[in-house]
Amino acid sequence: MVGRHRMFVRRRDGRVEVRLNDLGRAVAREAFGRVVAAERDPDHEWHVTLSAPIDPSADQDDPLATLTRQNETSTNAELAVMTLNEQFLNDAEAWAWLSTLQVALRATAVANGLLSDEKLAACEPELTNFIRTLQSFLFELAECL
Amino acid sequence: MDAIEPPGGTGTDTDVITENVVVTKRPWNVVVWNDPVTPMSVVVVIFKRVFGYSDNKATQLMLTVHHEGRAIVWSGQRDRAQAYCVKLQVAGLQSTIEQDS
Repeated sequence: MVGRHRMFVRRRDGRVEVRLNDLGRAVAREAFGRVVAAERDPDHEWHVTLSAPIDPSADQDDPLATLTRQNETSTNAELAVMTLNEQFLNDAEAWAWLSTLQVALRATAVANGLLSDEKLAACEPELTNFIRTLQSFLFELAECL
Repeated sequence: MDAIEPPGGTGTDTDVITENVVVTKRPWNVVVWNDPVTPMSVVVVIFKRVFGYSDNKATQLMLTVHHEGRAIVWSGQRDRAQAYCVKLQVAGLQSTIEQDS
C-alpha cells in the first residue's frame, strides 16, 4: 500500500525501529502487562491459556517443562515491558515483543471463546479492535524477523 | 593383542548367547493446532525461529495447520519434542505432544 505508515522497520544495522505512536504503545503496554499479570495470577482470565497441557495424554505435565514455559513466558513479557518506550529493539527484544503479543492475542481469543471465524466476526467492536490492532502489530513485526 | 576369555570360560568351548532384542520406539510428535486469530506470517516466522526450518518448509507446515486444523511439525525423542512444544507455546502457538500411532 503506497504511503502506508509502517509501525516496525528493520534497519540496516539489524535493529528494529518502533514507530508506534502513544496510542499504539498504550495497546502494547496493556497486552504486555496482562501477560505478566496472567503468568503470576492463577485466577487471571488468561492464565488457562498460558498453562495449556503440553501432553494431553498424561494426567500431569512434566513439572520441569511447565516451569520452563512459565519462566520463558515471563522473561519475554518482562523484557517487552522494559523495552516498551525504546525506539530501537535488538533481535532478542523484537522476538520478545512478537512472542508476548502473540501470547496476548491467543489468550484474548481463548478467554472470549473466539475459536471460530464466525465467533470472531460476531464479537463486540471494542474487542475486535483490540484483536485487529494486535494482529497488525504482529503482521508487521513478523516481516522484520 | 592378547585374547581375553570370558570369566569361567575355556576360550573355545564357551557358548556365547547373545540375545538381540529389537525395541522399536514410536516417536513423539509435536503438533500445532489452528486458531482463527494468529496471522499466517507469524506462524511461519515462529517455525523458522524455533526449528530453523527454511521459508519453504515453514510455509508448507503453516498451510497444513491452516487447511487441516493441525500439523505434525517435528518428530523424535520425547524430551526434545517436549522442549520444542514448550518453545512453541512460549511463542504463543497452541501446541501439544503425542506419541506416534
